[in-house]
Amino acid sequence: MGSTDIQLIQRRVRRTYELARLRRALVGILPVILVTGVAAFAASRPTAPLAFGLATALAGAMMLWHGRDPQKAFLPGVIAGLVPLGLALGAGALHTCGAASCSYVCVPACVLGGVVAGFAVAGVSLQRRASGWFWVSASGLALLTGAMGCACMGSAGVIGMGLGFGAGIVPGLLRRVFGKETR
Amino acid sequence: MNVRLDSDLDALMVRLADGDRGAFTRVFELLWEPIQTLCRSLLKNEADAADAGQDAMHKILERASDFDRSRPAMPWALAIAGWECRTVARRRERRREEAPDSMPSQAGPHAEEVFLQRDLTAAAMAALGELSDVDREVLVATFWDEAASVSGATLRKRRERALDRLRKTFRRLYGLD
Repeated sequence: MGSTDIQLIQRRVRRTYELARLRRALVGILPVILVTGVAAFAASRPTAPLAFGLATALAGAMMLWHGRDPQKAFLPGVIAGLVPLGLALGAGALHTCGAASCSYVCVPACVLGGVVAGFAVAGVSLQRRASGWFWVSASGLALLTGAMGCACMGSAGVIGMGLGFGAGIVPGLLRRVFGKETR
Repeated sequence: MNVRLDSDLDALMVRLADGDRGAFTRVFELLWEPIQTLCRSLLKNEADAADAGQDAMHKILERASDFDRSRPAMPWALAIAGWECRTVARRRERRREEAPDSMPSQAGPHAEEVFLQRDLTAAAMAALGELSDVDREVLVATFWDEAASVSGATLRKRRERALDRLRKTFRRLYGLD
């Protein structure tokens, strides 16, 4: 068999490998689709959870297909993002109305959830001594997952969660930088 | 078998399972020749061996992401290739049975079938050898329809457990049920 034939076979086998990875990735994001469905069902306005859910599923599929650090960051990212999502969905039903105006607890819940998610991502990344790609991938997925619920108050909830997440992740980032400097 | 090449392959398969595409070409090169050789020796036919070898490469790389890093890569890959060769041999056998007029009559059993049967029996015996004496006694008694030291529900339970262990051992050794 000539080298051209072997190269052709190698290209075909490579395609099979990539398709198999893509199939695995699509199966892997099924829980994200389920969570998106629950978030859309529980939210008063399902458009935002659906949009963020689609973005989460696409990003997750890309990470799982790509492999390496982004693939390893998929599960920690989604689990961390479930904290602000769960708190926001729970808080969505709670609001108190006085004589002048109504007070919603969605934004504080998102900030708190963001802080917890940031701590969680930083903790897992430090524990695994993960690369920068792991931090970026896990953070991005956690923010997208959390945003499904934190869009309850429009952009305010998402921004609040982002700020909380930033605050939560900073100690871990500093520890990582500090740890490197001391080596 | 070259131990250094095998350990290289193990490391490369782990990288490929993690999604490191840089390992792909080398994995392909390391697997290609042993698989072609195995298929040629099993099928004794250049065209069938080429088909089976290519199909095996597709199956192996399709499952590369599920590769179990605790197991050596080469026996795993060769087990898949062996099964692919058996599939091709069976397909060829069926074609012969479906078109008896178009083929010259052959006396006696086919050499490939005998070879494959012997190969499979040896694999089963090796797996059986890893079981405990009790499990082996139960399975042998079942296979030869002999009286075992126990009977009734106890024998049935022991047989189920022994079969389960045999299945797990076979999977551990050859990667397939």
